[in-house]
Amino acid sequence: LKTQYGYADAISGFFEFPTDNARRILPPHLEPIELHHGTSIFSMVAFDFTESEVGPYGEVVMSVIVSPLVKAGERLPKSAFYPYLVGTTTKAARDHAIERWHLPHWMEDVAIEFHRDGPRIAAKVEVGGAAVAELSISDHSWNPVSHLYQSFMKDDEGAYLANIVMDAEQSEHEEETGRLVLHDHPFNRDLVISDVYEIPFRELWMRKGVQTFDPLIQLQTA
Amino acid sequence: MTAVQKDEAGRTAFSDYDYSNFYYGAGDDPLNLLGPFRDWYREALPNGYYLYSEPVTSAPTTRVSVKNRKTGQVQDLLNLASYNYLGISYRPEVKQAAIEAIERYGLGASGSPILSGTMDIHVALAEAMARFKAKDAAILFPTGYSANVGFISSLMRAGDNIILDQYSHASIVDGAILAKSKTVFFRHNNPMDLERKLLKCTGKKLVIVEGVYSMDGDVCQLPEIVEVCKRHGARILVDEAHSTFLFGPNGRGVAEHFGLDKEVDFHLGTFSKSLGGQGGFVCGSKDLVDYVNAFGRSRFFSCNLAPPVAAGLLAGVQIVENEPALRAKLWSNVAFLRRRFAEEGIDIGKSTSQVMPVLVNNDAKVFAVAEKIQERGLYLQPVTYPAVPKHKSRLRISVSAAHSEAELEEAVRVIGGVLRDEGIIA
Repeated sequence: LKTQYGYADAISGFFEFPTDNARRILPPHLEPIELHHGTSIFSMVAFDFTESEVGPYGEVVMSVIVSPLVKAGERLPKSAFYPYLVGTTTKAARDHAIERWHLPHWMEDVAIEFHRDGPRIAAKVEVGGAAVAELSISDHSWNPVSHLYQSFMKDDEGAYLANIVMDAEQSEHEEETGRLVLHDHPFNRDLVISDVYEIPFRELWMRKGVQTFDPLIQLQTA
Repeated sequence: MTAVQKDEAGRTAFSDYDYSNFYYGAGDDPLNLLGPFRDWYREALPNGYYLYSEPVTSAPTTRVSVKNRKTGQVQDLLNLASYNYLGISYRPEVKQAAIEAIERYGLGASGSPILSGTMDIHVALAEAMARFKAKDAAILFPTGYSANVGFISSLMRAGDNIILDQYSHASIVDGAILAKSKTVFFRHNNPMDLERKLLKCTGKKLVIVEGVYSMDGDVCQLPEIVEVCKRHGARILVDEAHSTFLFGPNGRGVAEHFGLDKEVDFHLGTFSKSLGGQGGFVCGSKDLVDYVNAFGRSRFFSCNLAPPVAAGLLAGVQIVENEPALRAKLWSNVAFLRRRFAEEGIDIGKSTSQVMPVLVNNDAKVFAVAEKIQERGLYLQPVTYPAVPKHKSRLRISVSAAHSEAELEEAVRVIGGVLRDEGIIA
């Protein structure tokens, strides 16, 4: 009943942006986590999937970090996020993710180009030749991890939670070596670009990993 | 089954989690997080977290008796953890002043400072602080925390702008929250980023910085920050918690050190650091003090400082005024320790003050390092994420004028030895 995706690289940058912006993106039942008072966390993740039910593809996920759903007696999540926009490089991947995970998608194919250069990796995202975003991060020490994350989704049909375990080699640090360039493109319309700090306070790189989804949980919300 | 449990591969590590994982929890019951936190803390405590809040059973001199929370044994340790930067809290004249005050006034002030809780000893201490800081007036708070919370929220309102260094102390952040002002953080000690943030602010603006930052021991870039503030019409508050009584020709703080005493609008500090006492203060004009007296809720609605503490602090201020050699000894100790750490290859980051972070930069090892250091006779605490960024874990040292060079040399020997044994330094 679990769904698995194998990936070569999954790179994430976590960025400070105003809580006012986060609240505009989030549905009312989700609470943004604040790094500081008034400052929430925007994340961009770029995946290079090598194995899945719909073949290899690339994916970019724009999210707001939110409070996890913590329950006594259950495994504690590392963190939780609300993906408010996903872009994929193939229609098959997009249809699959919308149908199975109710993820909100950019409805055209996006192009994701990964550049690997020793300790650095970058992902460049474009739509129809127009630049959307460029994320670059660097590595630190590598360790095998198995971490639980929670992804919250909401669409016209309801609200959902996906428990996702990421097994991978992981490098995580807060050296502020990375950078994000967000272009003035409709893909980024939910963000006030000038208010997103361009240097990630945390850089997370997972490689040679497997992403495992538990079956989707439908949530009761007011 | 516990919340922090083994994964499917059988791996379990309390170090996969930290305090930050237990701050937010969804659900309707505010107690939801207690069980998961208990399960994690039960594992974290014997794995290093017992090093926090160990009961000290003696005065915070350069040697202290500490009850080990893991073994229950009381150890005699070289103290590198207490503030007490000038070694004043246990001076005979300070203790005598406190004893005389308790004989005269009893235990507490028994009232709010705006009602029955102001005693002549409080008035004398406030006057002494105003004189020491060369300002018209001073106002006292029961703690340094309440000084920031009370002062900031007394002056700033909803719709105003408070611009903070990203490494601001929690009391500054909480003051901004209580003020309900728009709060913006600028990159640590970065005047250019401050300017970027100020450009987006309209209306009343208050910039808050610290003289010395408590986790890194670095000094505020005050000249550049003051220049930016003046250019944008922002008022500036300097929290001199870790710098009052230490920096500047007269010990007034970092503002005096840079010759910017008059350029800074608000001077705030504590008595708990250099004097090893308790309480906070704000110095400025009489109009300012009168206003804060009326609107500083954390003070207004707290009992005043205990009279024995106020009397001890007054004696402490007099010692600082009369014995500038104490500051000279502190800076001599700082220079000695910096040199010896450098010779041993021990990294203290950007510290240029009496607060020195010994950078371990290894979150997985920092507790083991701290445990071994305590086993070998030093009292200091590890600091790790989320108090500092990931992989920036450290041991925080507070240097005192009371330390002898022999004691500091002992500290270098023990710390260097453990860091070498653990592979942190070559």
